[in-house]
Amino acid sequence: MFIRRNILYIILTTTQLLALHTSYAQQKDSSASLKKVTVTAIKRPVDFTTAIPVQSINHEMLQQINAESIADAAKYFSGVLIKDYGGVGGLKTISVRSLGALNTSLLYDGIPVADAQTGQIDLSKFSSTFVQSLELSEANPPQILLPARVYSSAAVLAVATNTFNTNNFTQKKWQAGIKQGSFGLWQPFAAIYLPASKSVVISANAEATWSKGNYPYYIDNGMFSQKAYRTNSDLKSFQGEINIVKQFKDSSQLQTKLWGYSSERGLPGSIIFFNNISVQRLWNKDFFLQSRYQKKISEHTSLLVSAKYSSLFTKYTDPNFLNNAGGLDNRYTQQEIYVSAAISQKIGKYFSASLASDFASAHLSSNIVPFATPTRNTWWNSIAIQYARRLWQINASLLNTNVNDKTKTGSAAVNKNEFTPTVAASYKLNVESPFLFRAFYKNIFRLPTFNDLYYTYISTINPKLLPEYSKQYNVGITYSKNFNTALKQFSISVDGYYNTVKDKIIAVPSQNLFVWTVTNLGKVHIKGIDVNAEANGKFSSAMKWSVRIAYTLQHAEDVTDPTSTEYKNEIPYTPNNSGSALAVFYYKSWSAGYSFLFSGTRYTLGENNPANELSGWDTHDVFVARMIKLSHFQANIKGEINNVFNERYEIIRYYPMPGRSYKISITFTNL
Amino acid sequence: MRKIKSSLTVIVLVVIASCTKKDIVNTTAPKVTTGLYSLNQGNFGANNTTLTYYDFGTSVATTDYYHNVNGFGLGDTGSDFIIYGGKVYVVMNVSGNVAVADALTAKYIDTISFISSGVNKGPENIVGYGSNVFVSSTDGTVSVIDTTSLSITKSITVGSNPAQMAISGTKLFVSNTGGFSAQFDSTVSVIDLGTLTQTGKITVGTNPGSIAADNSGNIYVACTGDYASVAPSLVKVNTATNAVVLSADTAVGIVRFYNNNLFITGGYLGAATVRVLSTTDFSLVKSNFISDGTTVINPYGLDIDNATGDVYLGDAKDYTASGTVFCFDKTGAKKFSFSTTPTASPAKVVLIQH
Repeated sequence: MFIRRNILYIILTTTQLLALHTSYAQQKDSSASLKKVTVTAIKRPVDFTTAIPVQSINHEMLQQINAESIADAAKYFSGVLIKDYGGVGGLKTISVRSLGALNTSLLYDGIPVADAQTGQIDLSKFSSTFVQSLELSEANPPQILLPARVYSSAAVLAVATNTFNTNNFTQKKWQAGIKQGSFGLWQPFAAIYLPASKSVVISANAEATWSKGNYPYYIDNGMFSQKAYRTNSDLKSFQGEINIVKQFKDSSQLQTKLWGYSSERGLPGSIIFFNNISVQRLWNKDFFLQSRYQKKISEHTSLLVSAKYSSLFTKYTDPNFLNNAGGLDNRYTQQEIYVSAAISQKIGKYFSASLASDFASAHLSSNIVPFATPTRNTWWNSIAIQYARRLWQINASLLNTNVNDKTKTGSAAVNKNEFTPTVAASYKLNVESPFLFRAFYKNIFRLPTFNDLYYTYISTINPKLLPEYSKQYNVGITYSKNFNTALKQFSISVDGYYNTVKDKIIAVPSQNLFVWTVTNLGKVHIKGIDVNAEANGKFSSAMKWSVRIAYTLQHAEDVTDPTSTEYKNEIPYTPNNSGSALAVFYYKSWSAGYSFLFSGTRYTLGENNPANELSGWDTHDVFVARMIKLSHFQANIKGEINNVFNERYEIIRYYPMPGRSYKISITFTNL
Repeated sequence: MRKIKSSLTVIVLVVIASCTKKDIVNTTAPKVTTGLYSLNQGNFGANNTTLTYYDFGTSVATTDYYHNVNGFGLGDTGSDFIIYGGKVYVVMNVSGNVAVADALTAKYIDTISFISSGVNKGPENIVGYGSNVFVSSTDGTVSVIDTTSLSITKSITVGSNPAQMAISGTKLFVSNTGGFSAQFDSTVSVIDLGTLTQTGKITVGTNPGSIAADNSGNIYVACTGDYASVAPSLVKVNTATNAVVLSADTAVGIVRFYNNNLFITGGYLGAATVRVLSTTDFSLVKSNFISDGTTVINPYGLDIDNATGDVYLGDAKDYTASGTVFCFDKTGAKKFSFSTTPTASPAKVVLIQH
């Protein structure tokens, strides 16, 4: 075996890099604020009224479930697979309806978060503490006034923080607290919202996380089986934001955000039999500055202008790497500038249209020699129309993407100009009907990432890489009704979908297991059903309840090569069944809840033989919380037991997940 | 607690169809008679390296024979193995050890760890000579293992990231790839098997990998090149003078010697076929050794039975699907094949001699 192992590590450092594992600290959130424990469900939830399926999690639920980061929360959506390498510091990415993590984009307070190097966002970098809502849209978000780039992925996860809600901040508000849990988790946080003048609010929030992540796991290998503890799985991270909101007299609004994240973590790696050495480390220093200006030019015309500069620095070290330099110390700096302008116009009673034009320039440099040092310039132009009658509506959009790569050394790969459409429609039988029928179609592609294209030694063959195309078809029905009983509101949606992927980009070993190459290999057909249901109500004025369930039935199969033993086998890590449930009871100032996540059997490789089978799992979490009113503020106290039954499981094979763990949190706030 | 959990799970999972197992893995361990072992590497990080026992009498392949006999697996990414002195030595590159078992029963004897001072030396290739076996490791050493005490008695420093080894006369030749560094190595280390010391290095070409010795004092080295501007080459070295006597630009993955010819795979840049070259001038004897039209997608392992001229090819396909081992007679006609299911990447075949 001739070892060009650089490649291996590069592949690993990139998919895993960010990806790697880590520790656990466990349980997440809590605290922050159980304050507004009122069940507000008078209106039908927006999730059940849109032509394109949308699922959301509000602040209250985020505080109830075990969610250190938004990744943990996203596990409660249907149709979603969160790849989780274990622990607080482990990479967590989101794949929607088996289209892959690189086909989902993240919007943070309305502006896309991008990573041209890996093409996927590590959701563990985004705390859930200050999040107001988390919303997952298939295809595109339902709004018409959007940056063009938002149309460029198969699904969009939108994070809205609680910082831009000026209505709430007419006086000085603050919150501060700490979470403490098993495996050395400490997570202090604080936020302050200062009205600087009648029209300006300045706010800042920050959260630090320490986790040892040294949770126990079990190595199962005959007479060499043993109980062990994760090592090199510690995490230290700090994230903070400064926000300024300026409200102009004409009701236009300018929002500016400076976001920063800094972390150091160990990468414990997968469990390797007979070898428990783990010394790889990862550092991240990310920040972005973004601004968003919204103006209603007239009653019928609105403008949205956005701009962003981001810088992502990654350092990866492996002192045991057997090169002449005595170890690896790879550093990557990625910078992106992004601008967007969008305008929407209402024409007549039923018709509206919008135009948007975006540009981004992403640049990646590294201390690796040789390195391509690529720059990618992308232009997105979109047009969207909406025709909305009382009982039915049609939405359509067309996205034009124009991409151009340049490299300092070697050949540049991508030069593309594509048009991709989305069409969606919904229909109601009559105004009072609780039923809504809906359907959508979207055609979109994802570009090869810098990692796919420009890693040394694989670059000679990579320029042939094509974009990966996916088509989505969805039909669904929703039912949503309010009642005047102990059950106040009940909603359910059932969506069936069929997705096709062609030219799927995958990394495969080329010469041997240590030399990898990235190719367009693959056609995948995915069919599935997503079910979401939620209900809430009250037994008395003091006693309320809410329940939420998500379930996914899915079959994603490889249809690349009829002669292969992998033909019509399920693609890796795609369970046929998965789901979640959350039930919460409120009694006066108390609340208690139970949540549940499960996944059926999956395969770890494309050939579905029993050796590649990874058994299903289910975890059960419980919490009790209490709000205590003090003179000028309140205290929220919460205790959690997560993975109550100490389930031993893996989401990714040989990356064990933590067993039973505890967490307590306390928050003081006048919010 | 468990009970509560079970019922909860049952309630939720009632609707859920359980998965049916498609292939049933053979978990028996038939007695070893005449046959071969195949080392199947599996996948990085998956702890799924297996040893298949294929019985010539029954034509039954028992994959994971080692596990079936011992109740535990070999670990992660086996890179090479030999049968020597009645024992089978399996080099586990990522697990960082050499597993030793009885050659005729596959029963576990010992594990020789290659983890030292918290670093996995990266054991790679193995050959036997006299009362020792020699293991090259990525950390730039060749370890000498006494076959009686099964302990490392000496560590010989060679070049950067050594890969493969071949014995010619009383000398051991080790290809130094330098594959972990920005700058590749281009040498073959010469070790005197009497004194167990490195006596010199021969410059052969960029990134030397596979290496084979003939029966008249020459070795053949496949230089992989730098995957960019430096093309791959095949080099012939006279071990009497340590001089390069022949060199040709051609893509070679594995090189093996049999009956005055070289059998080579195409490797990284070459075609997925087995070619036959003349040892005298590297001229093409056969552009495709396989004569009966049998399709081998990705020749990954190449071994020749010197007694019969049978050629064993391990087909790694896409490196994730189960591999196939083919046996061809010396005319290139297929004799038999077996699947290494469920394991990918069959890398080496060794015949079991009684």
